[in-house]
Amino acid sequence: MKKFLQYFIVVLLLLSLLSACGAKTDSVLNKIKTDGKIVVGTSADYAPYEYLDEAGNKTGFDIELMEEIGKRMGVTIEWQDMPFDSLVAAVASGKLDMSISCFNYDEERDLTVDFSEAYYTTEDAFVVSSAFAGEFNVPEDAAKYKLGVQSGTMQDDWITENLVNAGLMPEANLSRYERVDQVALDLLAGRIDIMMADHLPVLEIAKKNPDLKIVYQGELSTGPINIVLPEGDTAIKKEIDKVIKILQDEGFIDELAKKYFSE
Amino acid sequence: MPVIRQELKGENLDFLTLLRYIASGTAYTFGVTVIALPSGLLIGTLLAFLYVYGGKGIGKVMNVYSTVMRGIPPLVLLFLLYFVVSKGINLSGFWAGSISLGIVSSAYQMEIIRGALLSVGNDQLMAARAVGLSRRQAVINIVLPQALRLAIPPWSNEAAIIIKDSSLVYALGVPEILRRAQLIGASTHQPLLAYLSAALIYFVLVTVTNRLLNLLEKKLTVPSNH
Repeated sequence: MKKFLQYFIVVLLLLSLLSACGAKTDSVLNKIKTDGKIVVGTSADYAPYEYLDEAGNKTGFDIELMEEIGKRMGVTIEWQDMPFDSLVAAVASGKLDMSISCFNYDEERDLTVDFSEAYYTTEDAFVVSSAFAGEFNVPEDAAKYKLGVQSGTMQDDWITENLVNAGLMPEANLSRYERVDQVALDLLAGRIDIMMADHLPVLEIAKKNPDLKIVYQGELSTGPINIVLPEGDTAIKKEIDKVIKILQDEGFIDELAKKYFSE
Repeated sequence: MPVIRQELKGENLDFLTLLRYIASGTAYTFGVTVIALPSGLLIGTLLAFLYVYGGKGIGKVMNVYSTVMRGIPPLVLLFLLYFVVSKGINLSGFWAGSISLGIVSSAYQMEIIRGALLSVGNDQLMAARAVGLSRRQAVINIVLPQALRLAIPPWSNEAAIIIKDSSLVYALGVPEILRRAQLIGASTHQPLLAYLSAALIYFVLVTVTNRLLNLLEKKLTVPSNH
């Protein structure tokens, strides 16, 4: 076993050596201008921010906003769908130029990537099914029940820090899922009592499932949402921030919010 | 049952559209399999030869290769190749996935071929040497043809595993069957239908592949073996 470990470490070292060869210093902005396109990652399973329409095309608040940003920069957008968990790593490793997927600012994410200025603000929600008979007055009440959340999200961090690590609930009572619709399914199936998620996407799900009820809405873990950019790339950040500012001043983003977020 | 019925009654649902959308991911599943499986076979067969006939030192190296590659979850290797190694060389998710599955599979296929080579036995090799064939001729003309036949049943198992493991490339955003089922399931709020469709497609792919390999096995059976 010891020998195996030695071999394993040698292999890992070789891999990291290989990866070190690929360090780059050039701004993504230059690449975007020469190629005439931005490779943007998104996880298109998060209505109303990013999802597929009936024809199977990507649509949503983030999608339309990014298309407009590209237009203002005079370039096209090349969309790359990817599971949410993989997006930050893909921007950090240069596989994507940037990613827009309802990202909140987060210190851990900030270690490997940068964030644009905020383009919108989101809220959290707690949701129960109609079978729920318990009491829910303050967010901390969630600790008394079996709780579900999408893994790697701000809500996941909030629960882990404020409920699990604070000793209010055992970790065994928290279920983490890859996507938000899976959390809602398990809530409907009765395997969890309550779920925490971004307000708008879960509202979208609740609209189609009358058995789901939003019992709390407010800013706990979330807040401003930003575009994820390559680490330390000031040129691209400046450009994106500038376009976001213009679109905010023109009222474009408010119009977009009205289109996608009004009930 | 009531759940399924409710799912099927969903409003803007067009089952054929959904199935067609998911099924169009088959091209990627097929592509990954067609790259990973044969390259794994080629490398695996070469390594198996080295393992069995290459002497003690080489055998040990092969043993380590096999242990390491079979010990790493394919998804970890996939992430290593896509996010770490291919920072310099720009490898697409599709190729990173196909290559890492090919590497993992080569270790399994090496063990399959090695087992087959060993089960043909040394007697055959000795007999071939006795009638005047060189060692190389004996291995290639006498042992290998029998070994490959013996390897078909376990190999068809490996083929089924690769077809299903090809779904792992979804983690890199390759729009294959599973990722498409996730997307359409999320946007139509019909996850049950989406995943059932994906399961159906995989089932058909694996069954057809195994049937074809069964036919091949029957065709290649040496009558005297029975």
